[in-house]
Amino acid sequence: MSVYRSKTEGTNRFHEDLYGDDYACQPKETDCDTNNYQSAPAYFENSFSPNFGEASVVQDGDEYSYMEQESAEVIWVKESCNITVNSTDTQISASLQAALQLAISIVIRLSIADSADEEAVEQELMQTISSSQVNKQKIFIYNTKDATVTTTDTDISVNIQLLLQILIALVIMIDIL
Amino acid sequence: MSESSKKVNMPDKLVEVMVDSVFRKNGIKPEEVKNNLSEKQREMLKEMVADLKQQVEEFQQKRNESKTEE
Repeated sequence: MSVYRSKTEGTNRFHEDLYGDDYACQPKETDCDTNNYQSAPAYFENSFSPNFGEASVVQDGDEYSYMEQESAEVIWVKESCNITVNSTDTQISASLQAALQLAISIVIRLSIADSADEEAVEQELMQTISSSQVNKQKIFIYNTKDATVTTTDTDISVNIQLLLQILIALVIMIDIL
Repeated sequence: MSESSKKVNMPDKLVEVMVDSVFRKNGIKPEEVKNNLSEKQREMLKEMVADLKQQVEEFQQKRNESKTEE
């Protein structure tokens, strides 16, 4: 208890030194604010730092313009041998997703002549299906021999299915199919 | 296995209603929109959609196969 007290006293004194007596109360608020902002990103960085294991595969996802999607994958391999890591699936699905997004925007662009409406419709369609998706995977392999790791981003394959459905619904609606 | 991957699918009707509501909200009438497309564009879009549909199906199938292998 006494230790905690002396600590807060210490920080107060620090502020008094800086700002003088007049600001004794006010800086407390701002102090709290800046602390919050600083600590959050620092934790995030730390949790994905590659320094943990002997070998690491760090894969950072892409961000698309319409859908907020983030995919981060960290795989630690420690004290192991003959480990095969397979994450190509994710790459294929990412490009497929991009193709579908492009197709939807092409259909909208061609069919809706009014450019203001066109943009609104496109954005709204994309926003409805996924406002924000963050996918983080951490895999830790320790003391292992002859293992194969295959990672799949389930979020992205759900997205692909949805995008295709939207594309087909769109196309049916404007009587192409 | 394949059941679990089917579960995540959105019903087609739901997506249809969603697209329709977005159109409605922005005052777009499908009947008018149809006239903006030429026959050639229509054909191109049709091919494009069919091609993408096939690619997605292949992809999903591959995923299901690799999952059942494990």
